[in-house]
This record gives sequence, C-alpha cells and structure tokens, in this order.
Amino acid sequence: ASSSLGCSSGPSGSGRRGPENKDEERAQHSEDEQEKRKEKMGKKTLADVIQEMKTFLWNSEKREFMGRTAQSWGLILLFYLILYMFLAGMFSFCMYGLLLTLSPYTPTYRDRVSPPGVMIRPYLHGFTIAFNVSEPSTWTPYVNSMHHFLQAYDDNIQEEKNIECPAGQYFVQDGAESEERKACQFKRSQLQNCSGIGDPTFGYSTGQPCILLKMNRIVGYRAGYGTPVSVNCAIQKGNESALKSVDFYPGNGTFDLMYYPYYGKLTHVNYTSPLVALHFTDVKKNDFVPIQCRLNGEGIVNDVANDRFLGRITFTLSIRM
Amino acid sequence: MHIIALTILRYESTLKIQGYRLWTIKSLCPREEREKSKVPGFKYEVCIGLTSARAAEILARDGPNALTPPKSTPEIIKFLKQMVGGFSILLWVGALLCWIAFGIQVAQGVASAFDNLYLGVVLALVVILTGIFAYYQEAKSTNIMASFSKMIPQQALVIRDGEKREVSAEQLVVGDMVEIKGGDRIPADIRLIFAQGCKVDNSSLTGESEPQSRSCDFTHENPLETKNIAFYSTTCLEGTATGMVINTGDQTIIGRIASLASGVGNEKTPIAIEIEHFVHIVAGVAVSIGVLFFIIAVSMKYKVLDSIIFLIGIIVANVPEGLLATVTVSLSLTAKRMAKKNCLVKNLEAVETLGSTSIICSDKTGTLTQNRMTVAHLWFDDQIYSADTSEEQTTQSFDQSSQSWAALSKVVTLCNRAEFKPGQENVPIMKRVVVGDASETALLKFAEVILGDVMGIRKRNRKLAEIPFNSTNKFQLSIHETEDPNDKRFLMVMKGAPERILERCSTIMINGEEQPLDRERAEAFQTAYMELGGLGERVLGFCHLYLPEDEFPDTYPFDTDSMNFPTSNLCFVGLLSMIDPPRSTVPDAVSKCRSAGIKVIMVTGDHPITAKAIAKSVGIISANSETVEDIAKRLNVPVEQVNKEDARAAVINGMELKDMTTEQLDEILINHSEIVFARTSPQQKLIIVEGCQRQDAVVAVTGDGVNDSPALKKADIGIAMGIAGSDAAKNAADMILLDDNFASIVTGVEEGRLIFDNLKKTIAYTLTKNIAELCPFLIYIIASVPLPIGTITILFIDLGTDIIPSVALAYEKAESDIMNRRPRHKKKDRLVNEQLAVYSYLQIGIIQSIGAFLAYFTVYAEQGWLPNTLLGLRVNWEDDYYNDIEDSYGQEWTRYQRTYLQWTGYTAFFVSITIQQVADLIIRKTRRNSIFQQGLLRNKVIWVGIVSQIAIALILSYGLGSVTALNFTPLRVQYWFVAMPYAILIWVYDEIRKLFIRQYPGSWWDKNMYY
Repeated sequence: ASSSLGCSSGPSGSGRRGPENKDEERAQHSEDEQEKRKEKMGKKTLADVIQEMKTFLWNSEKREFMGRTAQSWGLILLFYLILYMFLAGMFSFCMYGLLLTLSPYTPTYRDRVSPPGVMIRPYLHGFTIAFNVSEPSTWTPYVNSMHHFLQAYDDNIQEEKNIECPAGQYFVQDGAESEERKACQFKRSQLQNCSGIGDPTFGYSTGQPCILLKMNRIVGYRAGYGTPVSVNCAIQKGNESALKSVDFYPGNGTFDLMYYPYYGKLTHVNYTSPLVALHFTDVKKNDFVPIQCRLNGEGIVNDVANDRFLGRITFTLSIRM
Repeated sequence: MHIIALTILRYESTLKIQGYRLWTIKSLCPREEREKSKVPGFKYEVCIGLTSARAAEILARDGPNALTPPKSTPEIIKFLKQMVGGFSILLWVGALLCWIAFGIQVAQGVASAFDNLYLGVVLALVVILTGIFAYYQEAKSTNIMASFSKMIPQQALVIRDGEKREVSAEQLVVGDMVEIKGGDRIPADIRLIFAQGCKVDNSSLTGESEPQSRSCDFTHENPLETKNIAFYSTTCLEGTATGMVINTGDQTIIGRIASLASGVGNEKTPIAIEIEHFVHIVAGVAVSIGVLFFIIAVSMKYKVLDSIIFLIGIIVANVPEGLLATVTVSLSLTAKRMAKKNCLVKNLEAVETLGSTSIICSDKTGTLTQNRMTVAHLWFDDQIYSADTSEEQTTQSFDQSSQSWAALSKVVTLCNRAEFKPGQENVPIMKRVVVGDASETALLKFAEVILGDVMGIRKRNRKLAEIPFNSTNKFQLSIHETEDPNDKRFLMVMKGAPERILERCSTIMINGEEQPLDRERAEAFQTAYMELGGLGERVLGFCHLYLPEDEFPDTYPFDTDSMNFPTSNLCFVGLLSMIDPPRSTVPDAVSKCRSAGIKVIMVTGDHPITAKAIAKSVGIISANSETVEDIAKRLNVPVEQVNKEDARAAVINGMELKDMTTEQLDEILINHSEIVFARTSPQQKLIIVEGCQRQDAVVAVTGDGVNDSPALKKADIGIAMGIAGSDAAKNAADMILLDDNFASIVTGVEEGRLIFDNLKKTIAYTLTKNIAELCPFLIYIIASVPLPIGTITILFIDLGTDIIPSVALAYEKAESDIMNRRPRHKKKDRLVNEQLAVYSYLQIGIIQSIGAFLAYFTVYAEQGWLPNTLLGLRVNWEDDYYNDIEDSYGQEWTRYQRTYLQWTGYTAFFVSITIQQVADLIIRKTRRNSIFQQGLLRNKVIWVGIVSQIAIALILSYGLGSVTALNFTPLRVQYWFVAMPYAILIWVYDEIRKLFIRQYPGSWWDKNMYY
C-alpha cells in the first residue's frame, strides 16, 4: 500500500486556499478514497497501523521523514534555531540587566532571611544526638564533626587572619562597599571545656556532651540591637528534672556584639560566626531528653509555629552509659 | 352503530413496515359482539363494540395505547460518563499517584506527606466538580426538551358495552369502535367502516400536504395508501367517520416509525470528534513527557517516589483542567445566543455541527415556503399579472383599472365559501384565521387586501343559491343579487378547473367587453394556463353570467339539484393561480448558504413541477442553470443524449429514486450542485441523507413530520420545526427552529462557524500556558533548581485566572466574513491542528516560560540567591534538617525561610504567567487580522476577562498570601512587571506573524504559522 498519510500531520492546506493547490487536493482525494476503501474492508488491522507508522516515519515515495521533506525539515529547524537564539539572546540580555542591578556585596532584600535561624554542631543529618558512652564508635562521628567544624576556629588561624576587637560594641567598618572587611577573632579556646583542646572528645566520652550553637549569618544584621543575644536551654516537654545543669561558654552564653555586623562573603572573607557552646553536664541518662535552646534578645523571634529553627532549635539527647 | 364493511386486506407482505398487524374486521368483531342490523333491508350484522371486560382483557394483553418513550440513559450512568470522559482519567491517575506517594511517605515518616494527600484530594475534587458542571449543563439543555414532549391527554369517543362513551385515548384497545369527527386527532390506527366526507391530514406521516379523503373502500394493498385506514396522531380535518381500532401504541405506523428513528444510531457530533482528537493530543503529550521524564528522573538517580511526584506535576501542568468546562460554557453561550435567534439547540454540541454543515436537505413546505396558499398570478385581458406573495402584503400593485378586473374581483369575492372567524378586525389580514380550505382562504385574503370588507360585499350581493365544489363537477357556483339597486339581473359566478370552466364559456371578457371566444382567444388561454401551470401553481378559472331579467325575475326559484339555470355559454373572466409562496427571507438565505459553500437540497413529498418552481424562486436552482430535461428541451434531443455533466441542476422524482442504485445516487449527488427531490417517501429521505453522508458531508436535515424523524436522527444535525413540527420530529432532532424559518438556519450556521473559530482561539490560549507550567518541572528535574511553581499554583491558573478570559474569547466577533468561505472539511480542518499546537507550545509557550523564569530568577537573586547558586541546589534546598544553607552572599537560611522564598517564587512565576496570558488573550482575538483591524476594545468581555484575571491574581497574592496551604505570598510590586517585556514581545511577535500571513498567503510562513 502506498501513502496514506494522516491528514492531521504535515502542513496540509487548510481549505481556504485558492486553486493553486488543486494537485494537492486531487492527491488528497485519492488518499481519501484509499482510506474509504480500507474502511469498507473493515477496521484497520495491526499490520496496517504499523505500515502507516512506517510510512509516516519514512515515506520513500515523497522522501519525507515524519511528514516533511529534508528541505522542509531544514527550513523549520532553521526557523526554530533563529527564534530560540533570539529568545536566548533576549533572556541573556535580561539576566545581564538583572545582575547589573544587583550589588555583589549586599543582597537587595534581606526580609526573607531575617530574623536569624539557629543551628547546632555536631550535625550528622538529624537532631537526635544519641550515643553510648562505653562504645566510642557511637560518638566518634559527633566528635569528628565538632573537630572538623572547629578547625577554622583554631587559635593560631584566628590570630593569623583576624584581629582582636573591642568587646561589647558592634564592629562597624564604614568605607567603600568593595573594600575588604576585617573579622574579629573567635578563638576555639574561648569555648573552654568545649573547645576540644583539653578534652578532645568534647565530653562525649564522659556522658557530658558539648553542643555548639550557631546563629545564622545575615548580611548587615546587628544582633540584639545593642544588647548581646543570649542563649538558654530547657526541656521542651516533660520532666524538667531531666536537665539539671548546662554550662554556657563563652560569657554565659551570649553572642558578643563585636561579631556583628556581617558584611557578606565577598568582602568579609575570614569571618567566622560566633558560637555558644552548651555543655550538658548533668542530663538524665538512658532516656530521650528533648531540649530546646532559644536565643533571647531584641529583634529575635523564637516562637513562630511554622519555622522551628527561627531563633530556637530543638534536639534530643540520648546518652546511654 | 354502523354497518360493517367486510373488506379484507390480503396483501400483508407488501407492507413496508415490518410487523404491522392487519386485523380483519371479522376477526376483530367476534360473533358475540355482533347483532342483526336493525336497518330495514340490510341483512348484515352490525358490530356493537367490545364489552368493558373484554377491553380490559385486551388492554392487559397489549398495554396502553401510547408510544413507549425512547430509552433514556439512566442519570447515574450519564453522571459517571462525565466523571471518566476527557482528561478525567488522566487526573484520576494523578490523584491516585498522589495518594500512593502519600501512603509511602507516611510510612517513611516524611513531614510533608500530607501535601500529597491534599493534592490528590484537590485533583479528585477538580474532576468531580467539572464532571458535575458538565452534567448540569447537559441536564439543563435536556430540560428544555422535556417541556416540548408534554402531551395533553387525549380523549376518544368509543363504543363499549353497546353505548358511546368518552375514554382516555390510552385506554383504547384493538377491536374498539371509535367515532371521529372534523378537528379530532385520530386516537389509534383505525380501519374505517363508515365515513362521511372524511378528510385527514396525513402530512406529519407521509409529507403529503394535501388533505386526504377517507372512505370505507379498500383502494390499495399498501396500508399507507389505502383509503380505509386512518392513522394514529394524524388529524381529521372534516367530516365524520367510525372505525375499528386495528393497532395501538407502538404497533401503529407512527409507533413503527418512531422505533425506526430510535434504531438509527446517534453518531458523534463533529465537535465531539474534534474535542476527542484534541484530548488525545494533549493526553499524548502529557503521558509521553511524563513517562520520558520519569525515566530521565530515575536514571538521574532520583528516588522512584520523587520521580512519581514529578510525574504528577507534569500531568497536572499538561492537562488544561478548566478547558472542557470552558468549552461547555462557550457552547452554551452560543446556544443561548442562537435561541434568541429562534434556533433552540437540544444538544449543546450540535451548536457547532451547523457550522460545519456542508449539505442542507431542506423540506419544502413550511420551511422554505409560508405554508399557506397565496394568489401569485392573475390572467385577464390577455395578460399575466403578478401578485405580491410576501408575508406582510397590505396592497397589491398590479393594474386594477381594467373593467375585467372589476368583474374578476367580483367573481373571486362572491364565489367563495371561506369566511373570516369573527372578532379579528384588528388582526392584519394575512394573519386572520379563516374557516375554509386553502385555496378559498387564499382567494378570500387576496380579495380582502384589494377590495376590503369582503363580508360586506357579500352581504350587499346576497347569495341565492350555491353548488359547492365537488370532484365530479370540478366547479363551484353561486347566484347572487347585485348590489346595484337599478340592476335587477342576477349574477351567476363560477370558478373551478380552468379547462372545465372554459368548456362552459362562449365569450371572454377583454377590457371589460365581452368578446366571442374564438380559437385565437382559446389558444391565448391555453398558453397562459400552461405557463402558470408550469410555474407549479394551482390555477383556477373564473367566469360569470348576468342572468337576463326577463327570464329570471326577482322571485325565480333557483334549484341547485335540478340546475334550473344556464351553466353554459358563460363569459370567461380570467385565471388566478395560487402557490404556497416561498418565505421572503429564504432566497437571501439560500444565496448566503451558497456563498458559504453549503449545498441546499430540497427534499419534498410534493409534485416535481411545484417543487422545481419553488426551488427556482428561492434560488435552490439558480436562474441560469438547467436540468437534463431542460437541456433536452432546448436542444430538442431525447433526454438520453444529453451529457449529464452539462446540467447543474437535477429534479429527481421519488419513483426514479426508487430504481436507483447507490452508485447512481452518489453520481447525482456529486455531479449536480442543485438538486431537488420530489415525491419522496420517508425511507427515501433517509436514503438521500445517507447518500450525502457517503460524500463525507456534514448533513443537516430539516423536517417537521413524523415521517422525517428517521432522517432527522440519521442526519449529523436534525432540525425540527417548532411551530409545525410533530413531537416525534422534535424528539429526533438536535435543534428546533422556533419560527420554522429557513433563514434562521443561516444564522445558526454563522454562529456555528464562529464558535468553531473561537474555540480554536480558546484552546490556543489555554494550551499556551501549559508549556509555562510544564517547563518549571522539566528544569527542576534537569537543573535541580528550587521548584519554580507548585502544583496547587498551576491549578489556580487553570481553574482560576484563566477561566473567564477563555470564555470571553467566545464573544469574539468573526475576523472576516465567515459566510464567504467553504464549510470546513471534516477530516482536514481540525479544531486543533499541528500548527496550532506547535505555535502555542513551541513558540508563544516558550516565550511565556522564559518570561516567567526571568521573574523567578529575579526574585531569588534579589533575595540573595544568584542564578548560578541555584543550579544543583535542589537536594540541599529541600533538606528539612539543613537549616543553615549559605546563599550567594554567605547568609544562612533555615528550611522554612527557603520554603517561604520558594512560595514567593511560585507567586512571581504565577503572576508572570498571568501577565503574559493577558498578552496571549489579546493576540488570540484574531488568527489572521491585526488586533487593530479587529478592534482592541470591541469585545468588552475580553476586558472583563483581563480585569478578572488580574483581580484574581491580586487577591491570591495579597489577600490569601497569608494562607500557607495555598502557597501564595504577598509579592513586591515590581515583580508584577518583570515579565512585561515578554508580554509585549508576545504581542509584537504575533502581529508580525499575522502580518506575514496576510502579506504572503500560501507561502511557507502561512502554511506553518496559520492555525
């Protein structure tokens, strides 16, 4: 059987054209007749369908691939090439324009990222810190995570890269936006018992784990509006006696003002976020103890229902002896 | 009680309608129901009818005498069909996948699992709501019909237990004796055993417009032809009759035809086929892209569950959820508009069918003609005058100064038994109700228009004697006093068949003078008679005679039985010819059909000459085209020698049609563009319709009688007459012409074509944004960026902002004269063709996606996430535990902060699509013309659509931005304008496209870019 190309495929004339495509019409007519004959013979068989598909894919008579000749395909592809190139150009131009309006140092808006969220270390993809004191393999990952995180806070690195700043006041560095900013030292040793220097296991080997608390960075954010933000922790739900004492380092669990504001990663290259270490010296053992730590200070929001990491963080300690 | 004529119908086999029972009177009237005739001299027995007990018995056996209503689909099935038709299956699959994903996620303890549950519920709701909507729309249009089929319970006068009583016609049983009189509807098929001047109107059954006389004589083997059967649901016009019921309910001829009609399958309407085609395309695209990306996602190491969720997104993005509802609304809007123009559409989809109609098989009587006899021509003074035959005639303009006219008008006025019903003084003459037959009515109205106060004239010319028309005499005669008090002569006036009248005349009136009727005059008469007869008109001759005063004094006793007055040597006055004239709007409508490429075929039960005359006068046969017979006559050669292809017109007699093979019929339908079928039977009408459909034509059939119902059903669109139409015809039809006017069909065609064009626009508009909804998912999967638009948001576009604008396109005016192009080819001019899909998907759709992505990137970049940071970010971005992801500036984000930003991105993407859809809506107003040619402000509804679109977007963003479940956020004002350049680009690009299409018709551009 020869061609019986589907009528819907191909740029067939739409009937409103003049006599110039009479030939086409005649051709179409004979096709129609063929179709009719087929219909008379009954429903199309599977073989017919396959044959039709084959002719559609490659019509050797008209030298058409999927209803178009090579020239037709060439034209249509060229058209789309030009169209899409134009669109790509226009899009690139628009994106370029967009990037021109952006400052590389400060985001245009910061309303979605503030107020700050809170994270803890060790972080092993979850907020349940569970280990068995007598089995080091259960807590070494946490310890490694802490060590890894604190590398940047090594005293010598901090001393080498960063400067000592006057405590208790914001370290405001005016000047051109593009100017490189200095960062204030936050030495690992300030974390005292939780620095990992005295006890490289951060208390995990004794069932008194350290957890580091970090406030999310926001460019230009002055945490606490003049009064340092402090941290407190409490049992989230349940028996208050499960958490008897927590030690905070440094300075009773506050983020010193000198670490703010942050000037963005392009100019504030060596900036290290200030930390507050929580030393859980007396937590109920052999139990899941849900603990919530909150930031407290002016401008801090820690009670939004939707965002459980905004100004607070909840984690569970499960220490087995 | 009456005498039984024991005529037996023997030839049951000749009956066309299978299963029609022909009872013999003997078998119906058993011995115990007869008694000896009391009429002296008659030795026959008479039938005293059934006893009540026997009637009840038969009733129990045969059931009530009523037609079984056509089987209707149970409502619940109809409803369920709406639930699974179209895209519903795809959406059900989507919903099911959602619930499966939900089940798995719950088992895994994923926090956001419930999102999938809700999405599934929303999808199911969408299906159910659109289903309910479609069902409601359908039910509404069915309800219109319910009012039509309500029949008034009929009473019948029946003889039971030897006495007459009124019973409901439904209670009639075979063997019942019933009496009928003029004006009654025949309550069942009745074999007449007594008839006096009984005439019935069988037009609804056979299409014959002439009243048929009925008697007790068995005249034909075919029950439809024999004179002694009266049929159920026909009317008795005059006289009385008594008969025996021989068939009731579905066994009657009408019942048989009705079941024949219901046996004719209902084929899919063209628009249903188109929508199915479109659904297949979209579903095909959705499924193949969905499966392709499912495979891609799986091979890109996505989790299967995630891949399923992508699949859902792709399906939802691809399916235009609101479109089918929009189409329904558009169709029902058009249906409403058509109803205002007197086309009542029963089946919504039929709205468009009329637009794609390529052949109209039209009935003659009542549709093309006014269905009332009207005087068309006069012949007096050796000259033919034409009369005004329009519907609203108030004056006649032919020369009325001749004395002959005065004489003729007097005969016309006086020799006439028809009378106006009293109390109609304020009604226009043409609309007044008249008691009398069709010809006399025509003459009465004609005289009333010209002379005024016919009744007064008759009063002043008192009638003394009268012989009414009968078929043996073929004339009607009356004798009057004259209104001139000085003239004591009597005036005898006579009218009748022209040749019979002429026979009785010896003189003829010319210019008021009596002149001898010589051969020359007689030939002039013949010529005029032939000419008028050749016009298919019914010709009547008029003559008069002033009876000499001396022979017929004042007191002369005229006796019509002995005819004691002269009835020959009269004075011939003139001829009047009458026709059922075409409606004045019809010729224009027919020529409009012709320029719209629609072939109008006349199919009538009437005589070929009349049919041809009417066909000529309305333009179905155009002035300069000839039939084979005409050519033969002109060339003076036998018909066989004429080349059939030379003749454009053809008049086919029902008898010829009977002997034709299908091939011959096809040949006629193909070769002749102007065809009239005369003297056709209901079955032949069906054959003609089928013949047309074999030519791949979309066939519209008009009809009013029961006999038309099979053809109406078979046609692609059956059009029944609202005033003259029988219930059976209305039931079988898809559309009802409330004013019985052919011209209304043309309006319908126009509306149908317009809605097809506009649906094209609606679909193009709706499909465009599918790409802008789909691309985000594809980019999301491939480039792992945060999701640009959510599934719920997509639903808000499809079922929110886009609904009113797409309906608004149904109000768009036609771009050019749609009545000047050929009807669309059923198989080639698709609703959704390659060009439309490609232009919407790959051109405008892509531009829209790019515009929307620009907004997306802008929102993220201004919040600290530069485009390069976004690439590959997806896994971390969606990590619920990762609450300090760094952005491009080193700031750290919690999960919820990111989610909220993601929703802002959704909103920006949504708003951008909406803004660009405004541009899309504007460009879709035309497919070919510039928007400025079309008029930007002409379609006000479009602007309502645009305003609604923006208003809904504003409400969603600012009003419901705080409802977290909806995933919208209040958007900064400037983001509304980010996609603006692309909206403008869409407009400009489309104007360029249209410009090239207009400039270079037939070019490569035209072929590939015109949809």
